[in-house]
Amino acid sequence: MARIQLENVKKSFGKVQALDGVTLEVKDKEFYVLFGPAGAGKTTILNCIAGIVMPEEGMVKFDDEVMNLVDPAHRNVAMVFENYALYPQMTVYDNMASALRSKLYKTDEDKIKEKVLWAAKIMKMENLLERLPSQLSNGQKQRVAMGRALVRTPNVFLMDEPLAHLDAKLRNSMRTELKEMQANLGSTCIYVTHDFMEAMALGDRIAIINEGKIVQIGTSDEIYYMPCNEFTAQLMGDPQINIINAEILGDKDGYSVSFPVKRETVTLPLPKDDRVYDVIRVDGLKQVDFGIRPQNVKYSFEPKEGYFKTTVYSYESIGNKSVISAECGDFLHYQLRMIAPNGLNVEIDSDIYLRFEMDHVILFDPETKEYIVRYDEAGIQALSDQTAAANA
Amino acid sequence: MKTGKQRALYVLQNFLLIIYAVFALFPLIWMVLISFKSDTEVFTTTFIFHPTLANYQEVLLRSDYARYILDSVIVSGGAVLVSIIVGVPAAYALARYSFPRKEELAFQILSYKFAPEILVVLPLFMIYQKMGLYDSYVGLIWVYQLISLPLLIWVVRGYFEDISVEIEYAAQVDGYSWYQIFFKMLVPLIKPGLVSSALLAFIFAWNSFTFPLILSSNKVYPVTVAIMKYLGTDSAHYGQLAVASTVSALPAMIFALCIQKHLVRGLSFGAVKG
Amino acid sequence: MAGLTLKHLYKRYDNSGKKKKIKNDFAVQDLNLVCEQGEFVALLGPSGCGKTTTLRMIAGLEEITDGEIYIGERLVNNLHPKDRNIGLAFEDYAMYPPLNVYGNVAFNLRAKGVDKEEIDRKVRGIAPLMQIDDLLDKMPVKLSGGQKQRVNIARAIIREPELLLMDEPLSHLDGKARQAMRTEIKRLINKIKCTTVYVTHDQLEAMSLADKIAIINFGVLQQFGTPTEVYDNPANEFVASFIGEPPMNILETTIINKDGTFFFTFKDSNLQIAVPKRYYSVVSDGFRCKVGVRPMDVLVGGEDSQGSPEEIATFENLGDERRIGIHVGDILLMLITEDERRYKRGDIIKLEVRGEKTHLFDIETGERIREQN
Repeated sequence: MARIQLENVKKSFGKVQALDGVTLEVKDKEFYVLFGPAGAGKTTILNCIAGIVMPEEGMVKFDDEVMNLVDPAHRNVAMVFENYALYPQMTVYDNMASALRSKLYKTDEDKIKEKVLWAAKIMKMENLLERLPSQLSNGQKQRVAMGRALVRTPNVFLMDEPLAHLDAKLRNSMRTELKEMQANLGSTCIYVTHDFMEAMALGDRIAIINEGKIVQIGTSDEIYYMPCNEFTAQLMGDPQINIINAEILGDKDGYSVSFPVKRETVTLPLPKDDRVYDVIRVDGLKQVDFGIRPQNVKYSFEPKEGYFKTTVYSYESIGNKSVISAECGDFLHYQLRMIAPNGLNVEIDSDIYLRFEMDHVILFDPETKEYIVRYDEAGIQALSDQTAAANA
Repeated sequence: MKTGKQRALYVLQNFLLIIYAVFALFPLIWMVLISFKSDTEVFTTTFIFHPTLANYQEVLLRSDYARYILDSVIVSGGAVLVSIIVGVPAAYALARYSFPRKEELAFQILSYKFAPEILVVLPLFMIYQKMGLYDSYVGLIWVYQLISLPLLIWVVRGYFEDISVEIEYAAQVDGYSWYQIFFKMLVPLIKPGLVSSALLAFIFAWNSFTFPLILSSNKVYPVTVAIMKYLGTDSAHYGQLAVASTVSALPAMIFALCIQKHLVRGLSFGAVKG
Repeated sequence: MAGLTLKHLYKRYDNSGKKKKIKNDFAVQDLNLVCEQGEFVALLGPSGCGKTTTLRMIAGLEEITDGEIYIGERLVNNLHPKDRNIGLAFEDYAMYPPLNVYGNVAFNLRAKGVDKEEIDRKVRGIAPLMQIDDLLDKMPVKLSGGQKQRVNIARAIIREPELLLMDEPLSHLDGKARQAMRTEIKRLINKIKCTTVYVTHDQLEAMSLADKIAIINFGVLQQFGTPTEVYDNPANEFVASFIGEPPMNILETTIINKDGTFFFTFKDSNLQIAVPKRYYSVVSDGFRCKVGVRPMDVLVGGEDSQGSPEEIATFENLGDERRIGIHVGDILLMLITEDERRYKRGDIIKLEVRGEKTHLFDIETGERIREQN
């Protein structure tokens, strides 16, 4: 196992700058997630570490040793590819054994058999060993690809969206299994995904990548609760965070935010919080984008004290719970999302009354879209430390 | 149950197919028949004749026919072998690497096959004479590359393109060197395409006529040219001609029948994508 | 008035020519379904369950082996598809590439020989509804997946069909676009009030869109009801495990009697859960069955909880919620909590179950065992 470092790595394909100065450090035995939208450059980072892609600038180091000029075979990494890349002419057993049969990692057949059977057992595919890849379902192929990596004892496991092609149910159960496996293996692992749930659930730390650059690095709690900009905030969480542009009114004795809903203007007081008030006062904020997660939006179908009125745009189940969208725009369409239980009888376009739990609000700069401040920063830090302690 | 109308259609379809098959096979059958006829009976159009093996004896035992066949095997086989050795790496490069003017190069290779042989054969003849390649095995094998190489490169390239590049990456990460990957992982995967295109190239080379006619004379005498020997200036031994043709067509036919399924699949699988 | 009625519908594939006899050669078996006028019905099931076959039979693209199909009051068994007055929107939006969006939407009407002004009026009428007004001059190749799908649906509904059939129209779209399109479809169908049959294998899609869901497995209807009904009151184990994400925890259990109180016990586990009183009439000491409970209905008890102490096997923080997995024998029991507390592997929690949300299933047939009143 090893510590992996990238220093200012740059790579372009033709005119496309795939990586634009990526610097990151993966600690020994860390489960490190690279997370971002499609085409962000996640896979290219992985390929640079594996040695499949040669960076134009910057360094790739394993345990402080520069690896730039070492070919993939000699880097001793195990990789799971997004499209599995199983050898079609070989059985599952031979696929898994192939690394151990190469000249470099030559192992005797008895040992190979032991290793393969062990990996097959973990991946629950002992009954598939004689099959060819063409006879497997996607879920099974994915297991084989994982198994092929598991039989090795590499410097680092590299996993490129290993669950992306599975259906939702299988993906969730595989994710849980992976989490369990990770605890047992205790190895450095770099995991690429575009699914925020995978990132949150698996990563000791998460690096958010966008357009070839690292946007934010942090634990799942840090990224979820203190996203460094609106882009990150929108990536984490399903349904997406609500972000509303508002004017700040009042003075240091009591600030409030004011924003249009339909044809009315809604003014909501910002609860007293020394940190938030200080930031607003010192920076002299007049306009903010404030973000509020759907679970912090409360609703009622009857008028209620402290609730403002709008109409239902849609009501949909997302599994074990549902999402209500409320239409809030007049000329500009914008909707607020909130969590509701399944099985409500909600008429589309009927009236709904909303209240924000303002003590969960995150403030962003409306120009740069950068994070300014949020409520209870100290509490979030404590949560993050709690998780880190639990993982240690 | 099939309705009466459907059945009538079915019968009609088969009838038409049979007619076509007879039409297509007739020249071959006629050739085989002639090979068993004596010269006097060659021009009778009825199927009644006295079968004789005289023609076969004459061609196979009393002439150099075996040598001509051997020449054909050497030249065609050699050409295919060279094509494989040169073409597979070329196909790999065209499939995997990106370099300026790649598509133009690939198309140019293919275009060698478009040019009528007669167009290039004259300059080639003069060059060959000067270089001492005229009437040599090497010379013919070399010029046959015009026939076999483009075919092989295009089919095999399609196969390489069908193999996802991640498989190579995976093998690299697994600790294999490039040569090991090429022979252990890739060659088995392109085998169907390689075998079918190689056999087809062999058949084309075997059937080639213009090149050996002009670029060789006595030392190298492929069978296609040799058949001409039985066409004298004053007399034509049609019987012997038919024997020579029948025997020389045999390898091609046997190959084609053996690999028929393979051939269609192999060629259409990779090549259509190219 | 019923919008669509299926009576004892059967579909049997002719396997006589095939070497391998398929054991169950009914693609659809004794399907009975009544969709009310204006209702949005989802046919839901795993791939190969017969839902698409059913749709194709309704459309008239597939022969019916036995049974009757009524659209409105008309028996349509022997009608040609074009005479059934239906709109079709398929998975692959097969648009005519040489025609622009306008031409594609108008195609059906032109084919029928409707006069030009009428066509124009209709196309212009439907375009804003589907939000394709500014796309009308574009060619199909220039459209995004979501736009194509909107055009596709516009094309299906322009003829004002009595019945709209959709076959996995969203399966080509990716996550975000799919979610957005789902909302759009729902609002649209709400506006045009057309009876709709929608085929999908995605339970989320069915749950969020449909007024009623028909769940089909191996060609047999498992349950037909509103999303709430199938979610809260599943007819059998298949429905229970198919609906909901993450799926319902379903565990084999043996019930024991401890001093007059019944408990669920599990193989290779110390976990014991009190059997809700309402089941007392159907269970007995040593009774074996399966018990199902949704992850949302398993709770982490407080300090003074009477729940059974269990060790955490997996803990996933998903931001919006946290999922905890606990080994019960060799099955991982999942529970979902929105509690902010962070656990780790090996922590002990008290496990509580919302008794009113448990379901019992027959161990052999998977049929629901219902309490008797």
